[in-house]
Amino acid sequence: MSPPPKTLPDGSQAIGDLQSVIDNTRARIRAWPALAREWLRSLRRLLAMREENLFLVLAVVIGLFSGLLVVGFRIAIDWTHWRLLGSALFPSGWRVLTVPVLGGLAVAFLVIRLFPSVRGSGVNQTKAAVYIYEGYIPFSTVVGKFITCALAIGSGQSLGPEDPSLQIGAGVASALGRALRLSRDKIRLIAPVGAAAGLAAAFNAPISAVLFVMEEVIGNWSAGVLGAIVLSAISGVVVMRGFLGDQPLFRIPVFRLVHPSELLAYAVLGIIGGLSSLAFVKFVGHFRPRLQALPRWTNYLQPAAAGLGIGIIGLGFPQVMGAGYEVVDQAMHGQYVWQMLAALAAFKILATGLSFVSGTPGGMFAPTLFIGAMIGGAVGGVEHHFFPRLTGSVGAYALVGMGTLFAGFLRAPMTSVFMVLEVSGNYSIIVPVMVSNTIAYLISWRYQRTGFFDMVSRQEGLDLPSMEEQREQSPLRVEEAMQPPPEPVLDGDETAWGALERINSSTAEYLLVSLPNGEWSAVTKEGLRRQAKEGRGGLPLRSVVAGTRLPRLHPDQPLYVALRQIGDRPFLPVVHRADFHRLQGVVSLSDILTAYRAAFETRRPLDPDLEPESREAPP
Amino acid sequence: MLLSLLGLGLLFTVTGFATRRYHETQKTLAEQWYARGEAELKAGRPQAAIDDFETALLYAQSNTFYRLRLAQALLAAGRIEEARAHLLSLREQEPENGLVNLELGRLAVRQGKLSDALRDYHRAIYGIWENEPEDTRRQARLELCQFLLEHGDRAEAESELIALAADLPEDAEAHVQAGGLFFETKDYNRALTQFHQALGLERSQEAALAGAGEASFQMARYEEAKEYFERAVKENPADAHVARLLEMTNLVLGIDPFDHRISARERVRRVVRAFDEAVVRLEQCAQSHGDLLETSQPQTLIESVYARIQKLRSGVRARTLERNPDLIAQVMDVVVEAETVASSSCGAPQGLDQAILLAAQRHSGTQ
Repeated sequence: MSPPPKTLPDGSQAIGDLQSVIDNTRARIRAWPALAREWLRSLRRLLAMREENLFLVLAVVIGLFSGLLVVGFRIAIDWTHWRLLGSALFPSGWRVLTVPVLGGLAVAFLVIRLFPSVRGSGVNQTKAAVYIYEGYIPFSTVVGKFITCALAIGSGQSLGPEDPSLQIGAGVASALGRALRLSRDKIRLIAPVGAAAGLAAAFNAPISAVLFVMEEVIGNWSAGVLGAIVLSAISGVVVMRGFLGDQPLFRIPVFRLVHPSELLAYAVLGIIGGLSSLAFVKFVGHFRPRLQALPRWTNYLQPAAAGLGIGIIGLGFPQVMGAGYEVVDQAMHGQYVWQMLAALAAFKILATGLSFVSGTPGGMFAPTLFIGAMIGGAVGGVEHHFFPRLTGSVGAYALVGMGTLFAGFLRAPMTSVFMVLEVSGNYSIIVPVMVSNTIAYLISWRYQRTGFFDMVSRQEGLDLPSMEEQREQSPLRVEEAMQPPPEPVLDGDETAWGALERINSSTAEYLLVSLPNGEWSAVTKEGLRRQAKEGRGGLPLRSVVAGTRLPRLHPDQPLYVALRQIGDRPFLPVVHRADFHRLQGVVSLSDILTAYRAAFETRRPLDPDLEPESREAPP
Repeated sequence: MLLSLLGLGLLFTVTGFATRRYHETQKTLAEQWYARGEAELKAGRPQAAIDDFETALLYAQSNTFYRLRLAQALLAAGRIEEARAHLLSLREQEPENGLVNLELGRLAVRQGKLSDALRDYHRAIYGIWENEPEDTRRQARLELCQFLLEHGDRAEAESELIALAADLPEDAEAHVQAGGLFFETKDYNRALTQFHQALGLERSQEAALAGAGEASFQMARYEEAKEYFERAVKENPADAHVARLLEMTNLVLGIDPFDHRISARERVRRVVRAFDEAVVRLEQCAQSHGDLLETSQPQTLIESVYARIQKLRSGVRARTLERNPDLIAQVMDVVVEAETVASSSCGAPQGLDQAILLAAQRHSGTQ
């Protein structure tokens, strides 16, 4: 504490104090520019941080941006719905018939004239940005996706907001990456980071979003990408919950496995879910290329025609219009009889198929969950009718059914399990979900080897890497090219003379040397002779080969590892993983090439769709 | 980077503004649709109300009151299973909600699920109530008691009533209601206590007077019953039921030969009157039944009782009975036997016949 100012009777001391205060203030004001400069220097240091760290900070910023845009997107969809279809749960007949048609016309005009890159769900477009356009997504795509999807979904087209949110997030991330002049590698990685944030915010489920992006978009689990994706997803969800509240998309019913035999009922759900997924994919796969092959002017009318179809369905079943989360909620709480649920599932497949094949932009997540919930509810209802003591609530089946169709239709098995787990918050549901999802996935995979997203991208003439096919591939391994160990193998402790004596009768020119610590090296017979001639024949081999070490291989390693490491060496040692001294074989460049050639010649086509000659040409 | 942060700030502001408008609109829409639903429900159109409440819930998904009203509208429309689904979902959200549990209890009653009803009513009674918790809990327990009585579970109902009685407010109506329910469980003593307490709070409560009279009547305390009935009739002369009971009470008190307050002559007079009445009743019954009364070898119960009457008939005279008081008990035994046989063969007794039986029953323990 400063002492109180002393005041003289004439006031002179007080004036002196005041003067010192003024001087101090002036000095501080003069110091301001220096302070500001220091502050700016700190900011520059912050901004000039290493790109890896900046990438993580940027992931949070991307998450915030994506979350905000997704909030706006959801509000825009609801506003459009209120304005066009009214606020009633089930709109009046004339609105049901006219609004989707007019909305379809407007969407078609916008897509064809202003935003041609916003067609489709958004997942493949994001993958294309990552794999083809080096992370580049024009900002006009973000704007276009926002406007056209809000209009399409708000006017009753049977599509969802999640996949567009994914693309909006990816687009924002791409724009930010470009603005901050990130390196090409980082820009390529940044789109999935935004995609995860957008999906997490739209779906209010960060774990599922992260998994989906990892499983379906990038197929890469490296720590750096995972960290950025998790950060952005969390930021997106936090923003979304901050603005729209933390209530889930639907109220989750209580789940309880009544009896272990109930798993059979869930297996039946898996079978029906798998077959329904198959029907849904086949519907889209059959009609989409045919509609795309129609004359170009019909593109203006196709979304309107789909809207008319949806309107006609909507006269009897208005529940199929839009994303339909409220209907999923109702189904999960036993508000429909099983016949109604089955009808809703069938008509939703038809309505969503119409919307999607017509080229209307919008997502497939919400319709998939809708159809899954309806099928689950219907199966649960029937089973409950016949075995009331052995089956749980219809709502539990609807919940499991959502994951089942997600696994069967979108073919993201991991995401499908974790999604149900995340939205239900109930670990006891995991066994029925795994049973049902696995069966649905296997049925779908057995009869339709190409997943939905891959099929659509190939119909568009894009050869994007299929994460599912990559998972299904069994790469060639070193053991498939490996040859028996050559004789003799020299020991690092023996002398060059000893070694020469031992290999005298051998025809091998290139000899492996086993060194202490499990390392391996090699010498040529000529090299040994030269050592002996130069008088260094008494030295142990380990000092002769000092500085030359051969890379070690293991039998289970992918063969491309051997290809990368072999260089111009005649062969590489293949050793046991637990005992590096134990030589299991060797592999040479010719062995590697022979193995690849044999694999290529004997490989049977997994799916006709995968073969280049059978792929459908782009429209 | 700075530009990005500025853009972020701007987007935050715009989104915040849009979100506020969005929530306001949602709130307004929810309230409008809810009001429409209430109006439809009031107008007796539950089907329309259901659509309105469902729409209101679209904009206020977590509003438990709207959902409860939707469930009530579904119940009114007879869509029981859907209502139950909503109520169960509400209970998942708020397991302690008294009103939700009460509605589930009522639903279980409608569906005849006794154990579910009992469980749900108990949850309602011990649940959380926002408005007037004590009254609503009491009301729920009263409903539960009525339900148990309707289903003949008298013991369970009585235990609920004892709990209820311990918690009654200073309100005559509540005591009368509890007394009525105790009466239904045939716990006349506790019923009378409740009616007494009601009368202590409101001296001329007609229902309490009638209830106390009936409880006393059932306990054969006819003097008390007469007093209560007379007061009740005075309060409401139009109450025919109470008037009939008063008449019966007077008959019982007028025919009871074992009343220790009466003189020997009066006792004899009552015995003779009862005997004559029983004889007439048995004769009429035998006639309608086709029994032969004047037979030397009685075959039926009526005939054998009538044979005993005939044996006693000569002795049933005022002077004989005055001289031989031990005969009074013997005569009254035959009277009760005759009335009982007539009742079982020819229907419930009326008037004086009923009064004779009631008077006999009153002293059956002491005789």
